[in-house]
Amino acid sequence: MSAAESAVPTAPVIATAGIRKSFGGVEVLKGVDLEARSGSVLALLGENGAGKSTLVKIIAGDYRPSAGSVLIDGEAHQVLTPIESRAAGIAMIAQEFNDAPTLSVAENIALGRLPQKRGLVQWREMNQLAQEVLESLEAEIDPKADISSLAVGERQIVEIARALSSEARVLILDEPTAALSQHEADVLFERVRRLRDQGKAIIYITHRLDEVFELSDRVQVLRDGEVALVSNTHAVDRGQLVAAMVGRYDIVTGRPEDVAGIRGDVALRWRGASSPGRFTDVNIEVRRGEVVALYGKLGSGALEIGRSAFGLEPIQSGEIEVAGEGVELAGPVDAVDRGIGFLSEDRKVGGAFATRSVGENVAVASWSQLASRGLLNSDTEKKAFDRWYDRLSIRSKGRSSQPMEELSGGNQQKVLVARWLERGAEALVLLEPTRGVDVGARADLYGVLRELAAEGAAILIVTSDHEEVVAVADRAYVAAKGSITAEVPGDEITMSLLLTQAGG
Amino acid sequence: MNETAETAETSASIEDGTAAPSPSGLGWLARSIASLPETAALLFVLVGLILYFSLASEYFFDFDNFVNIAQNSAVIGIIAMPATVLLIGGQVDLSVGSVAGLMGMTMAVATTATDAETTPYGLGVGIGLALVITVAVGLAIGAFNGFAVTKIGLNSIIVTLGGLAMFRGLTKVLGDGQTIRINGFGDLGVSRPFLDIPTPVWIFIGVSIACHLLLKYTVYGRSVYAVGANPHAARLAGIRTGRVLFIAFVLTTIATALAGLIRVSQVGSAATNGGAGFELTVVTAIILGGASLSGGRGSIAGTFLALLVLNVLENGLIQTNVPTFWIEFSEGALLIIAVSFDRLRVRLGSAE
Repeated sequence: MSAAESAVPTAPVIATAGIRKSFGGVEVLKGVDLEARSGSVLALLGENGAGKSTLVKIIAGDYRPSAGSVLIDGEAHQVLTPIESRAAGIAMIAQEFNDAPTLSVAENIALGRLPQKRGLVQWREMNQLAQEVLESLEAEIDPKADISSLAVGERQIVEIARALSSEARVLILDEPTAALSQHEADVLFERVRRLRDQGKAIIYITHRLDEVFELSDRVQVLRDGEVALVSNTHAVDRGQLVAAMVGRYDIVTGRPEDVAGIRGDVALRWRGASSPGRFTDVNIEVRRGEVVALYGKLGSGALEIGRSAFGLEPIQSGEIEVAGEGVELAGPVDAVDRGIGFLSEDRKVGGAFATRSVGENVAVASWSQLASRGLLNSDTEKKAFDRWYDRLSIRSKGRSSQPMEELSGGNQQKVLVARWLERGAEALVLLEPTRGVDVGARADLYGVLRELAAEGAAILIVTSDHEEVVAVADRAYVAAKGSITAEVPGDEITMSLLLTQAGG
Repeated sequence: MNETAETAETSASIEDGTAAPSPSGLGWLARSIASLPETAALLFVLVGLILYFSLASEYFFDFDNFVNIAQNSAVIGIIAMPATVLLIGGQVDLSVGSVAGLMGMTMAVATTATDAETTPYGLGVGIGLALVITVAVGLAIGAFNGFAVTKIGLNSIIVTLGGLAMFRGLTKVLGDGQTIRINGFGDLGVSRPFLDIPTPVWIFIGVSIACHLLLKYTVYGRSVYAVGANPHAARLAGIRTGRVLFIAFVLTTIATALAGLIRVSQVGSAATNGGAGFELTVVTAIILGGASLSGGRGSIAGTFLALLVLNVLENGLIQTNVPTFWIEFSEGALLIIAVSFDRLRVRLGSAE
């Protein structure tokens, strides 16, 4: 089945030799060798900041290495332009979409080389070509549809189709499943395997260990810009990979030790709540002193249920109770006044003020409370930040004055949690709190959340990551197709149970 | 296929010694530029201009000339300060020139007796009542802009571009295409109550300080930065984003009304093209002062210095007998140079 197991070892299509790269005096790659072979999937693993994305951007010609070279079919290139890289058959599917949302699927697939006669676009030919590529991927996507009308998973397929239609030999996928539902991810894996069997060389960047074992033939781990491990996938186990990624073994992989200790009053409750087209008859309760997980894949309605606690989704029947009192939440202002704190699933768009200081980011929800006679100063913000700096062990070099964008993802998330604690929120609803956060920083954040719960906070984590549920939750609810399909007590939470309950 | 699992602390890195760049003089310069505050460049340019013009012209370094510069800065500066607040919130008001003209015309027409021939809309009321009417109309226009942007959800450039034409047209209708004289309304524009400095300059300084304090020390001001930096995150942080922007629109229009009144008071009449082109100078000054067109960044100090730079430049060029045609050119060029410098600073700061 795997080409790497059966065939003769092939020469690498793409290799790097001693690649170094510095940004402003900081070396992010310290001499990295990498090989990608035809008919083989290489998983490139590493924490955020390990240098994965920088390395593949050098291969794609986006960055110029400080030293070392990229070898294409054995020929060394010190300098590789994006055009040369593409001409050599290298195609990258980046984390952020590079498509043009207002154009059609077919136009996007043919972007940059629209079929033309005397300057006129040949629409029929273009749609035909797009149809063929999409069929080869067994994707049922209308070439004439607008990109903006597609689901995230479908947009990813279109990006792959674009890469294929340009005769790519090497396909680089940068964390492609980050925004996909389980089903969409399965479909993607199937297609990646098929492309591998057709002889493409595939570099698959991820931080999910499951995917490494499910998909890859070989695995390479980067840590702090160096190669920490290279191996055939079947020759390593999870522990070795985690150790190579973080450089230590003391990472939370099992259940928390203090599951479901003290439980207090119900802080937040959905009582038969329905929102047309989003979720129906939802019953959830979150008590003070516990971390509850609401687990569901994209499209399960889990995110929408979470959003409804912050007045962002209308409740048509049933109701939401805050501290035992039925409420109608008209919007965030209402929810904040009722002591609810909320983290959006997209930190960049819905949480962080990237260019403003971390002090401001903490104080922003509490300005009215912090002000004396309507007045504030930078000292107010500094004090607000200092209250949580140690409690949440936020790592910020410039303390309260550091711009938010200069913090790591995990620390930004802590700043956002601090924002609601500063506001005196008693119930926290956190959507995908560790998306894009390192393994090490995750364990850290889980520790903070469990501590807060132990001190009496009610925490609801809405997540599509089953490992997260196992690692942090006292109890869990599972959502699928807009309904709650199971309530799982703490001692029964296992990954396999969650996956079964969430459905395909 | 004969690979085995090897866990290595370090890879077999190639020690070729080319990795660490040696610190160069250029790198030091780049870091120094990057660490300068945003307003440093403006201050530097301002001092440079003053020094140069003082040497180049015997009339430049003179109290009366400085009062002149301040007076020229004042009218537009009174608009530019709240407009800076608005732009930090991520919105722009391009209708300020027309609104200033309309306010002046409203005042002049209200005080003039009806005459079917020359002033068909004249009311013939006293100065006090005319002021009330003018301010009321100004409030209505500010509320209209704010409503269109925050409630209907229109783009502020489009709304105020429409306003730019609408209110200019309205000014011409009110004045019936004529310049309207106004009597007994000179105090606001030309009196010198203190230190021999004209009232508009004092108002300008007052508005600047008020806006600076507003942005820096009030809940409202901090909210403006948050809304401009990330409107969605601001809403999710419990900020009433619509209200914040609505207030900024109203503040801008009230200041614009004040500026329009001062201009009419200075000139003694309201012309149908009064205030034309103000919007360009206002936006130039704000951007030159370091604000971002996309919001979330900017300061009153920056706008203040930028206004002085623009007016010192204009005044100095006149004093040194540069043909007036070149003055407009140089202001535009200065904007582009300043923004380029800012880009350079940001790029050096983030390295690469």
